[in-house]
Amino acid sequence: MLKKLTMSAPLSSAFNAMESVSRRHFLARNAMGVGGVALAWMLREERLLATPANIPRHPVSFDLRRKSPPRPPRARAMISLFMHGGPSHIDLFDPKPELSRRSGQDYAGDITFSFVDRASKKLFGSPWQFQRHGQSGIPVSELLPHFARIVDDVTVIRSMHTDINGHEPSIWFMNTGRAQPGRPALGSWLTYGLGNESQDLPAYVVLTDPGGHPVDGVRNWSNGFMPPLFQGTVVRSAEPRILNLDPPPHLKGPLQQQNLAFLARLNREHLASHPGEADLEARIASYELAARMQSAAKEALDLSGESKATQKLYGLDQPETREYGTRCLIARRLVERGVRFVQLFVNGQIWDNHEGLKSNLAACCRKTDQPSAALVTDLKARGLLDSTIVHWGGEIGRLPVTENHGAAEKAGRDHNGQGFSTWVAGGGFKGGITYGETDEFGHKAVVDPVSPNDYHATLLHLFGFDHSQLAYVHNGQSQLLTDAKPCRVVKEILRDA
Amino acid sequence: MNPFLRRAARWLTFAALLIPSPSRAANPLTFEKDIRPILKAHCFDCHGEGDHPKGGLDLRLRRLIAAGGDEGPAIVPGKPDQSPLLQFVESGRMPKRDKKLSPSEIALLRKWIASGAKTARPEPASLPAGSSGITEEERSFWSFQPIRPPAIPRTSARDRVRTPIDAFLVEAMKSRRVRFAPDADKLTLLRRAYLDLIGLPPTPEQAAAFLNNPSPNAYPDLIDQLLGSEHYGERWGRHWLDVAGYADSDGYSDADPPRPYAYRFRDYVIRSFNNDVPFDRFITEQLAGDELARTTDADVSARVVAEPRTRDLLIATGFLRMGADGSATDALSDRDAVRNQVLADTLKIVSTSLLGLSVGCAQCHDHRYDPIPQADYYRLRAVFEPAYNFREWRTPAERLISLQTDADRKQAAAIEAEAAQLGTEKDSKQKQFLDEALTRHLEKFDAALRAPLRTAHDTPPDKRTPEQRKLLADHPSVNIHPGVLYQYNAKAADELKAIDARIAAVRARKPPEDFICSLTEPAGTPPITHLFHRGDYRQPRGAAVLPGGLSVLNAIGQPIEFPERNPDLSTTGRRLAFAQWLTSGQHPLVARVLVNRVWMHHFGRGLVNTPGDFGAMGEKPSHPALLDWLADDFMKHGWQLKRLHRLILTSTAYRQSSQRTRDTEQRDPDNRLYARKSVQRLDAEAIRDAILATSGALNPRAFGPPIPVRPDEHGQIVVGEDKTQGDNKMPVESNLNGEEFRRSIYIQVRRSRPLAVLHSFDAPVMEVNCERRQNSTVATQSLMLMNSAFVLEQADRFATRIEKEAGPDRAQRIQRSWLLAFQRPPRAHELTDAHVFLRDQVAHLESLAKPASTDPASKKPATAPTPEHQALTNLCQALLSSNEFLYVD
Repeated sequence: MLKKLTMSAPLSSAFNAMESVSRRHFLARNAMGVGGVALAWMLREERLLATPANIPRHPVSFDLRRKSPPRPPRARAMISLFMHGGPSHIDLFDPKPELSRRSGQDYAGDITFSFVDRASKKLFGSPWQFQRHGQSGIPVSELLPHFARIVDDVTVIRSMHTDINGHEPSIWFMNTGRAQPGRPALGSWLTYGLGNESQDLPAYVVLTDPGGHPVDGVRNWSNGFMPPLFQGTVVRSAEPRILNLDPPPHLKGPLQQQNLAFLARLNREHLASHPGEADLEARIASYELAARMQSAAKEALDLSGESKATQKLYGLDQPETREYGTRCLIARRLVERGVRFVQLFVNGQIWDNHEGLKSNLAACCRKTDQPSAALVTDLKARGLLDSTIVHWGGEIGRLPVTENHGAAEKAGRDHNGQGFSTWVAGGGFKGGITYGETDEFGHKAVVDPVSPNDYHATLLHLFGFDHSQLAYVHNGQSQLLTDAKPCRVVKEILRDA
Repeated sequence: MNPFLRRAARWLTFAALLIPSPSRAANPLTFEKDIRPILKAHCFDCHGEGDHPKGGLDLRLRRLIAAGGDEGPAIVPGKPDQSPLLQFVESGRMPKRDKKLSPSEIALLRKWIASGAKTARPEPASLPAGSSGITEEERSFWSFQPIRPPAIPRTSARDRVRTPIDAFLVEAMKSRRVRFAPDADKLTLLRRAYLDLIGLPPTPEQAAAFLNNPSPNAYPDLIDQLLGSEHYGERWGRHWLDVAGYADSDGYSDADPPRPYAYRFRDYVIRSFNNDVPFDRFITEQLAGDELARTTDADVSARVVAEPRTRDLLIATGFLRMGADGSATDALSDRDAVRNQVLADTLKIVSTSLLGLSVGCAQCHDHRYDPIPQADYYRLRAVFEPAYNFREWRTPAERLISLQTDADRKQAAAIEAEAAQLGTEKDSKQKQFLDEALTRHLEKFDAALRAPLRTAHDTPPDKRTPEQRKLLADHPSVNIHPGVLYQYNAKAADELKAIDARIAAVRARKPPEDFICSLTEPAGTPPITHLFHRGDYRQPRGAAVLPGGLSVLNAIGQPIEFPERNPDLSTTGRRLAFAQWLTSGQHPLVARVLVNRVWMHHFGRGLVNTPGDFGAMGEKPSHPALLDWLADDFMKHGWQLKRLHRLILTSTAYRQSSQRTRDTEQRDPDNRLYARKSVQRLDAEAIRDAILATSGALNPRAFGPPIPVRPDEHGQIVVGEDKTQGDNKMPVESNLNGEEFRRSIYIQVRRSRPLAVLHSFDAPVMEVNCERRQNSTVATQSLMLMNSAFVLEQADRFATRIEKEAGPDRAQRIQRSWLLAFQRPPRAHELTDAHVFLRDQVAHLESLAKPASTDPASKKPATAPTPEHQALTNLCQALLSSNEFLYVD
């Protein structure tokens, strides 16, 4: 209601003025505290007009306050280790004895190639051995010795498919629910639905690789048609770590403190000549909050307090794993502090092993295997795995046939959106199972196929939502993460389905 | 009276003003006044407005309720406990889907039944089918009453009344025993007037000219000067663009395609404000510029090229092209749904900007709170539907009218022929390259295979034999086509690319074709407007709806209808007739809505503080007589906005100080009585523009295509050309040559890409339009001011400007920085404090610089600022971030 009853106002006097100041202060603090930092520039409530088709418009406010999903959630937070480029499932998670047996023969089925000039139909058996691990006995490639130790805590989905071979459309599909650009990312949907648990940190954090942005750049953490409040906040590996939160290096430390102290003196004096102006006071307080957010972020990103053992677990002591391990450890610290969704990207397309599969795929695994496994181990040890989903996977897999570059050691694999593997752990997913199957060559998902929409529906289920109900109204239409496509919650991989 | 009692009495008076009428009522409750609004909001949808009331129960009239439905009477007058209606709402069984009745609503219902379920008067014999009709109570709502000039209250000399505005305000203050605050000092007035009227702070020279002008006319002269400034339109035009929903992109679809010629409407608005085009004229041009110009489909292209006036009139109709429009691109949605949305958004813009009513609520059913029957929505729709004809739909591109002259066209054709020739050259080269690649590639195969492979390859796909198809499938690398040529012969592919570049270069020589973006109406039979069942465009119902105004404004029995067709025009003339009714001086809403909005921008709050809703859910006017006097005066004097500004700015209400006093704090803490000026934060554009003006970077160039925005490497939207390189789309910095420092109104408004610095300070994202901006105080704003590249750069420029203008002396520099930022010299202790600040910062920076300078591997850029400059930059940043800079007293 717009009519405001301020019954107590006339009793006013100084006391009342104070109360009004503190009330507004409270509101201001609340509005500021909800979110975080954000390059998603609007922590405040924003009034937008949204309308389902032919239904009157009502003002809708958006904020990052914590919200309760309709059902009790299994998962509270999620860390997505996004392995864009297309990790070769048949060399990592999905052993194909028949493929190995017929390696070198021609594949009989139809294949869509992206690189026609090097296309061949020669089957290419995995050069690596698989062994069973854990109590579950899930076979794992020798390329992933660390992953082998956590198999009992993960579900390996072997039947993911986007049915599109291109990187970008498949990334859009995996990350936004539709194979076209412009829609809000998974992290936007989760923060839209659930808000943030942290008072001083962003809700949706993107940890980019110092080697550069992923393919398609900043669109990977776009809020699409949602307000920028739900955009991913980039935390970079170098100063300034968070845009606008950190001062540029040349202003760090005492300089900015002197600056702010000087500004505070200016503002306090100005306030003294404007007694009772609550807005002016709130703005002074907002600088104090900004400073708190700076220190909260600084604390979250500072790994010096982590034990030697933890640092070693993530591989911070080795050059090959140090960088990715650092980001995995930061991801854990963020989630620990209430951040809702953290997504890690790698530089460029390292998993896009068209050429030199043998050496290049092995290098990717050396960079990511230990840190990824450490994250699951560490979350479990801290009792966080039950409420935190960890996702590991890319947007496509790779073909079972050779991408021909002449010499055998240069052989690679072309894109394959028809079938690939992804693993998920924690937050209500079962441990120690595989789900779905590709055909005998690993080309197409044939048993219990899982589409990106199924995957998203399942995630939302764990977060307490019915995917057909978590809607955002845009242009008079109810928009869903699952894009109103036929899809289902994959209950077979959930603990309490 | 002892002080306590006095306070209590005051409290009672005050409370009486604030408590809504029902509890105040000593009069008996009546159906029309007290009960019907509740039932209308919650129940009529199923019990009255549908074709068949549910359970046979119609709640629209007292006697129908008493008669009841299938299960007997719904109420027993005098016996609430025996009244099923009450039991149903009390138990929450009804309403089924809707929001439940509140306890106070239920209590009222109980009381009404207990007191005999009275009506105010005999009820009508019949009601319009499917509609709740309009009651006398609704018709007598304040905003639907004709605007009649109230008498200006009599006041005495000590009331400091300078204008009639003051007289009305003083009159309201008297009972509350408050008075105007003292006049603000000249410095305050100066900043207030500049930032309010032109959205820029005065330069030190402009400030000195006013502050040192002893003439009693200095202030009125200043107002005239500012109203004459070309920057005035940039400031006040922006306010209008908010309600018009201005954007430089089509929105709707995820692609949000740019709308490259919308800026002409923005420029038209700025010019209209600068020229003080009478607002009735301004409204008419925007609603019916094409009908004023009497263009036809046949002659419009030639006339916009030949006649500047016609061109302006067509550009003015851009107002009706502001809504998001997905009809060009969104193939995923239902075509008619997209078109319907364009029209619905446009009606929302028209109704909230000009009528101050949320007419859109009546799209599906009678308005729940306001007396707007569903049919009214479609009467309004019928005014616009001929120009948004579903059957002859014009996409955004089809709404463009070229400004190309015949000479330009000839030249363009010649250049196109040249490009076509290059195209032929490319085609033959391409064919040759593909052929060569195939030949070379085939050499990798057994000689015996080569001929059949080539034959299969050269056979058109639909003519290939099954054997040929299999052959190609088994040898996928033979499928060479232009898209993959680069994989076989990179040099050849580059050569083809080079030809493409040449073709592009040739085409670039074409005289740029420019367009205007307008609304025109196809000639011929206009579409028939129907009411849509539940607002669903797929369910048209009933007879044709004729164009007309809101029926609540009808004198009984005289509906406001517009001719279906104006025989003098090639179009229907409906929009022109509508505009003429709005600006006739008889319309009770238009002038009230407009003057209220002007008032709101000057004072921070409207006399009606819901500027887009003058209906039952909106706020009532705090000063109804003043609002009516202003509206009447505005119309009487030719709808001149500048005259209205002058009137307001010369009032004591505007000229008074913003200082709170103990008295006003006690008696009117929210300043509803205007016994002081409210402190206002600069709005988003004014903050950015003031920072640019103070740093000296501001590029004051007016008009023209929007300055583009782009995401930076974090995804934050900044000013710049959207150019990227590489697969990971890293932004490429481009030099905008100072264009990036144009005023904010000239920055591209891409709906999906709100400029971060503006958006963080509450600039609206144009989903439809914005009736009133939020005013937030959040930490992100502080972070933006502390650490954003934009503010850091401007602080640096500000420092450089001071160094140039004030020389090397620190005291001079501090002096100059204060004058530029605050238009006043620093006070003695501020000067001292700033000195200490600079000294400490320089000392600290020098201590940092030393070890670095001894380090030969130091990566410090050669142009690293000196400690002195950096310290001054930091001082400047503090000034730009300070409340004194961001707020106006």
